[in-house]
Amino acid sequence: MQATTYIIPALFIFILCLSIVKKQNAYQTFVEGATGAINLMAKVFPYLLAVMIAVEIFRQTGISAKIAHFVAPAFNLVGIPSELAELVLIRPLSGAGAMAILDNIYQTYGTDTLIGKTASMIYGSSETIFYISTIYFTQSKVRNLRYAIPVAIIATLVGVIVGAWMIRMQG
Amino acid sequence: MNKIWVLILLTSCIVSAIFAPELAIVAMTKGANDAVKLSISLVAIYGLWLGTLNIMDKLGLSDKIAWCMRPIMRFLFGKDLSKESNKYVSLNMSANFLGLGNAATPMGIQAINSMGENRTTANTQMIMFVVVSATSLQLLPTTVIGLLINRGSSTPTSFLIPSIVATIISTIVGVLLVKILSKIFKDKPENHQQTSSII
Repeated sequence: MQATTYIIPALFIFILCLSIVKKQNAYQTFVEGATGAINLMAKVFPYLLAVMIAVEIFRQTGISAKIAHFVAPAFNLVGIPSELAELVLIRPLSGAGAMAILDNIYQTYGTDTLIGKTASMIYGSSETIFYISTIYFTQSKVRNLRYAIPVAIIATLVGVIVGAWMIRMQG
Repeated sequence: MNKIWVLILLTSCIVSAIFAPELAIVAMTKGANDAVKLSISLVAIYGLWLGTLNIMDKLGLSDKIAWCMRPIMRFLFGKDLSKESNKYVSLNMSANFLGLGNAATPMGIQAINSMGENRTTANTQMIMFVVVSATSLQLLPTTVIGLLINRGSSTPTSFLIPSIVATIISTIVGVLLVKILSKIFKDKPENHQQTSSII
């Protein structure tokens, strides 16, 4: 775990030393590259806004909790604690929304309980699938992703089911 | 995405209109505010990594990373992956692997752009790339560990092994599914004159 924290400083030390050896203007190159950040965000922002508005009202009206309640038995069946159904539902849509739910779970059920640990595993092992598949295509004309999203969701669920099983085995 | 977005927003607004009409504007404004806050931190992260990436590019390092990852790329995307796509996909995967999901985003956008400029339907390369990113291997979920420590967890890393196993399995399952499905649903070349000639 500690080794990975050295990766970032090591990367920068390596890059900067190499730029000295190769007599490159690292500062100017960095600035030129970073110029693209604002443009990129200008393209990404409207998508981000649309998704986050929808997810927030979805959560605050309690609909996501109701749907989660409705599908909870199915989660129990595959070994995911039913209290975590809402986290699983929101996670592919919004990282911030899922983070709020995760924090709520820690406060309600504790961090070191079976439910708490399984929640950590779910958040840690999955990605905001809808966010990624929207943002990556913001500069392209592609609008039809065919089977990409269903496959990503099924694959993530299989991983999470195995992870939940491992956490139960740990005790 | 359109269907999902309309469905979520529509049902939420209907429920809000029935039970708590004042909630709609409060919740939507909060969502919008959160989006702005997130964007500001994302501009910072994009700037940091686009700048760094540019230095690595000029030093020829990105090509070196891409070269090292060629076997994996060939297995995932076949032989037709262009040199440019190969570079951005390699960098995106390396960043995801280190848990730098947001740093991976600019490279992900460039990777998709390089895979076909005028398509409106995703090709197999794009689908494979989206699935690999969306199920990406995460060695160190730093946000979760940070939150666990804040909430006073005595064993903040006990979920790590199951979590890493879960991401490995999800990536394997995702890649295999795309490999199988791409054999069944073949890529069709897109005809761009189509729309104008019909009417």
